[in-house]
Amino acid sequence: MKYDVIVIGGGPAGMSAALESAKNGCKTVIIERNPFLGGILKQCIHNGFGLHYFKEEFTGPEYAKKFIEMVEKEPKLTVMTNTFVTAINGTKVDIVNERGNQTLEGKALVLAMGCRERTAGNILLNGTRPAGVYTAGEAQRLVNILGKMPGKEVVILGSGDIGLIMARRLTMQGAKVKAVLEINPTTSGLRRNIAQCLDDFGIPLLLNTSIFEVVGTDRIQGVWYGKVDEKYNKLYDTKKFIKCDCLILSVGLVPETDLVNMPLNRVTKGVFVDSHLQTETDGVFACGNFLHVHDLVDNVSLEAKTAGYNASMYAKGKISKTKPHTLSAGNKISYVIPNKVYEGDEIIEVRFRIKSKITKSNFVIKDTHGNTIFKKFVMASNPGEMQSIELDSKLIKDDIVLEVEEQ
Amino acid sequence: MEKKIFDVAVIGAVVVGVSIFNDLARNGYNVALIEKELDVSTGTTKANSGIIHAGFDCKPGTLKAKLNVEGNRMFPDICNRLHVPLVRCGAYVIGNDEKVVNDLLSRAKANGVVAEKLNRKQLVTKLPNITENVTCGLFAPNSYIIEPYFYTICLCEEGVVNGGKVFFDYNLKKVNRAENVFTLTDGKTIIEARYIVNCAGGLFNEVSTILQAEHYDIKYRRGEYYVLDHSEKDVVPATVFPLPSSAGKGVLVTPTASGNILVGPTSYESDNSTITTDDGLKEISSKVAGMLNNINLGKTIRIFSGVRSIVGDDFVIEQSKKVDGVVNVAGICSPGLSSAPAISKYVINMLGLNYSNTSHAKTITPYTKLSELSVEERNRLIKKNSDYGKIVCKCENITLGEIKDAINRPIRPTTLDGIKRRVRPGMGRCQGGFCNDKVALILAKENGRTIDDIVKEKKAGKYVVGDVASKGVDR
Repeated sequence: MKYDVIVIGGGPAGMSAALESAKNGCKTVIIERNPFLGGILKQCIHNGFGLHYFKEEFTGPEYAKKFIEMVEKEPKLTVMTNTFVTAINGTKVDIVNERGNQTLEGKALVLAMGCRERTAGNILLNGTRPAGVYTAGEAQRLVNILGKMPGKEVVILGSGDIGLIMARRLTMQGAKVKAVLEINPTTSGLRRNIAQCLDDFGIPLLLNTSIFEVVGTDRIQGVWYGKVDEKYNKLYDTKKFIKCDCLILSVGLVPETDLVNMPLNRVTKGVFVDSHLQTETDGVFACGNFLHVHDLVDNVSLEAKTAGYNASMYAKGKISKTKPHTLSAGNKISYVIPNKVYEGDEIIEVRFRIKSKITKSNFVIKDTHGNTIFKKFVMASNPGEMQSIELDSKLIKDDIVLEVEEQ
Repeated sequence: MEKKIFDVAVIGAVVVGVSIFNDLARNGYNVALIEKELDVSTGTTKANSGIIHAGFDCKPGTLKAKLNVEGNRMFPDICNRLHVPLVRCGAYVIGNDEKVVNDLLSRAKANGVVAEKLNRKQLVTKLPNITENVTCGLFAPNSYIIEPYFYTICLCEEGVVNGGKVFFDYNLKKVNRAENVFTLTDGKTIIEARYIVNCAGGLFNEVSTILQAEHYDIKYRRGEYYVLDHSEKDVVPATVFPLPSSAGKGVLVTPTASGNILVGPTSYESDNSTITTDDGLKEISSKVAGMLNNINLGKTIRIFSGVRSIVGDDFVIEQSKKVDGVVNVAGICSPGLSSAPAISKYVINMLGLNYSNTSHAKTITPYTKLSELSVEERNRLIKKNSDYGKIVCKCENITLGEIKDAINRPIRPTTLDGIKRRVRPGMGRCQGGFCNDKVALILAKENGRTIDDIVKEKKAGKYVVGDVASKGVDR
């Protein structure tokens, strides 16, 4: 089968990219492994979605439904559900579903496979390996999709947003959430989630704290936890025990890059892209949590729109590249996307995260001679929030670096 | 129903117990296998290095040396019969003490094991990532890698196909003996047998107390491991050991038969608990760094530990001096897996029963593994049964069809870990985060249960703990 644009993933990123490509006249297909579109939004039954994109607040499934309805109406767009991608070669994609294995050929390809959760193994969680230890997403699926409880007395490790949301959700379902432990000095979740999910329910958030040992052979019986120093060394004399029958891990998300063979960014663990969100492979574009883990789905939808549009332009042979320059992360910047920018006449969405909490600072972009070509004031921010600025490419004449300048 | 007296009751569905069960069943005996857990291979058998050692390092003249070397030679035929992957990757032993290398080579010679001495220059061509510390070593070509749990499950299934009977969840409470027949009970089911083989591993002495047989001075040693992602699979072409010390074979790096990398184990005296520790992981990390470069422990997907039980310097395999008809198999530490087929033969000879009367023995149907088939073969299967086109585990590409097949086997798995050991959902990068619930639902459906009944591994280790409060909780 031949398409102009193939989009892998039918979550918020994939749907937004595919819609934009189809609207631009390209024959587009979404490949989705689930029986339905919407991705992880389907299990996010809490509200808080859409405020930026639709200027209206929705739950996850409602936000997904808005896009699903648009997808269904779009004549140039087809959807293959229950379909897995087994290999990617350039812009060709091998798939399998109940009709068998086949290869799809696209002129352009959009990677929108989202991310996966870090696991107990990834963080070297010591002690035993009993039942009752879940990633936050798995626990969320149990509660919100299957209607089953993962436990009654819960400890949450990590203050990622899904963990915070699950703290509230489980509390409302009658579980006792005993504590949220965060190894860093600051939370990795959104400020509003700390307020609405922990503070409102009196759930303690313990910073600079981690689990030393999981206890229990059949099902988890509790955890030894304590303080860590700034290098994450465990301070054993602070060791205490909490009894629990459930441990939920919300310890970070990693782009789902299994299927691609491209160099990965050390910080985002995702691929590198230029200002068109094109990867280092010609005709292959990336967006959403596959590219870097976002804070809000609204930002995913916006970013994916750019990727979908550019993929369709590439399919039509209308993507022009002028002289490339690098955009790199400087002082206090954890990462920046895109990694490559072009001189010319377009507005570039620059997305990034900061390394630590800042107040009264400027985001500045400088060239190699130290000249400031862009400056934006920021009152206060923390690493949990993704930042974005719009950069006029007319200003770019050289390799540039983004940094934080304190006032 | 006519009451059957078993010829032999084997206690412990561990690799040695299952090997004995299998050989007896294939020789036409009525044999019972008794296990207190819900599946085969839930203890030390699943948690070791997965290596069929060549046998060069065992002290000549010991049971370990004899049975390891003999067992190693038996593995290719058995795995071929069972369709269990066995990879002959060979093993390097590397270090900087030439005297120890020479000692190992003379042991290899005494044990009749092929091994070749290598200098640094020769080593570098095979293992480009050895550190500056490494000056000498040896290579033994007849060292294999295997998935020990999968091997043991297939061996057990074959025993069942040949008439053996497995009793899971059997918590042995009492044993009586009258007129040369043992009567075993767990309070619910009575099993009668003429002989008993105690292969209870870490619980040997507890079982021995019930049998009124002898105890041994069992010490436990815990070994911790890192499992690395498939992305690291080419970092070593073969098993790489350091030169051995009194604490054992040392921290090794090996590919696994399923394309991961295993790094470990430690060797700490411990109780019978399989914890991992900060100290253990740190020790592995520093020891490996002294031996090989580019072992990226940042690519860890899982850490685990296994406990081996040790009695003195050698295996203990003998008839009980206190209870006639009981055979004690204790202290089966490394190289227990490698020796298992030979231990089985040794025990069966000790019982005075036939070992080679297997011409009428049946074999098992191999597991369907789509990843090993060509696209055409896969499409043919999907056409017959569309379940083979539905992927459930996206990390290891396991289909619904393969999972259903694994459930509908001679031994029906009932646990999440049981499915994981058979067809690997949960063994990959996401460690089951994406598929545990899906596998639990399939398991429930195929076994006529609900998700509330499904356990991870142990009877009290439920996957979920009841329903959500449908209207929320009144606060």
